[in-house]
Amino acid sequence: MQQTQNRDDDWSKLLVLVGTRQDRSAFERLFHHYAPLIKGFHYSRSAQAFSSEAADELVQEVMFRVWRKAASFDPSRASANTWIYTIMRNCRIDMLRRNSRRQDADGCDVEVDDIWDESPESQPLLVLQHRRSQRDISEGLRSLPAEQSHVLEKAYMEGKSHSEISTELGLPLGTVKSRVRLALKKLEAILSKQGAS
Amino acid sequence: MIRHHPDNNLLVEYASGSLPWAMSLAVSAHLQLCPQCRRENEHLNHIGGGLLEGCEPQETTGDALDRLMQRIDAEPTAGGATGPERAPESPKSRSRNTRDDRDPALARLPRVIRKLIGDNRPLKWRRVSPSLKTTRLTTGQDRYEVAFQRICRGGKVVEHDHRGREVTLVLYGSFSDADGVYTPGDFLLREPGEVHQPIATQDQECLCLSVVEAPVHVKGPLGWLVNPLLSFRPA
Ligand SMILES: [Zn+2]
Repeated sequence: MQQTQNRDDDWSKLLVLVGTRQDRSAFERLFHHYAPLIKGFHYSRSAQAFSSEAADELVQEVMFRVWRKAASFDPSRASANTWIYTIMRNCRIDMLRRNSRRQDADGCDVEVDDIWDESPESQPLLVLQHRRSQRDISEGLRSLPAEQSHVLEKAYMEGKSHSEISTELGLPLGTVKSRVRLALKKLEAILSKQGAS
Repeated sequence: MIRHHPDNNLLVEYASGSLPWAMSLAVSAHLQLCPQCRRENEHLNHIGGGLLEGCEPQETTGDALDRLMQRIDAEPTAGGATGPERAPESPKSRSRNTRDDRDPALARLPRVIRKLIGDNRPLKWRRVSPSLKTTRLTTGQDRYEVAFQRICRGGKVVEHDHRGREVTLVLYGSFSDADGVYTPGDFLLREPGEVHQPIATQDQECLCLSVVEAPVHVKGPLGWLVNPLLSFRPA
């Protein structure tokens, strides 16, 4: 049971090495682990949110930001997976925004990182006990009924809004919403149960 | 105390990045005021981390790491370790505007709203009615109308509805309608067609951020006719 947890701690340690010493071999190990996951998150047999080329571009940009921002990674506040997830999500928003932005954009300077702000001062004082729950969340996700994990994957991995998911699956919006809520409830129950033990 | 929060579905759309820019801005401002939703958001990010860990890996192109290291080497500062990145304040936000600086309603706002004001200053308030002033804010998108609404002490806004979804985030003072009293941090989402009539409380004026889904295909000289803000008529 300790396996996954220790592994996630290892990635966190590597990130700290990159942040404090710009350790290249640590960064290369992180790259070999996370680059295929970042690509797979956006491009796989079952779902192609991005083309293979666009997913490769995203990998470049995300890992570049991981290198640049590693100094702000605080292992007591976030796990490596979650921290990299937030960087990846912001990167993707940036990329989609750049592609869709009209030429006469109104010159506003609010940036993705201003809105999806994961800086320490925007974090809750009581951080989730992620060391324990990183493992639990992965197990929890695997234990969800298929129809519930499916809508979560559509939301997170394909970046679809609830109404887009409802159109695509031919389900009423209310059904999509309740599946998402049920999934969250179930994950929270798993986390609090395992947290108490 | 904050009593009105974005629901979990909206927070999932925010945490997964599918919520439109302007709506996300309002959610973000709420998060900066609300520890409870910050915890929930953290949990939702955590789910993202779990999905990343659990997804099926795909091989990247063979030269991916080399390309990246070249880019890192080309960085003037030789890469990383410059501490948490913060975009420098835009020159506009430093421009002098003592009226905005002295405005008590603007004195203590969430960081993302301060940034937004910096981009839009000096704020130009337009009087819609004796009790309501408004200023439109540019946010880098055009799907939603983003604005500050300012209701004077005890001011009444005429009963109105709107065409699209509308989010109201209270930033200063308070207002009430038939459903209750709303104080700073309260986040209200109204669906199209819901009618309401906000009234500011007697002791203080009220400042809200409002994000209204803009009607599509409204361009050209008559666009203002269907500007949702004009659905606020003088009371
Ligand atoms: Zn809240």
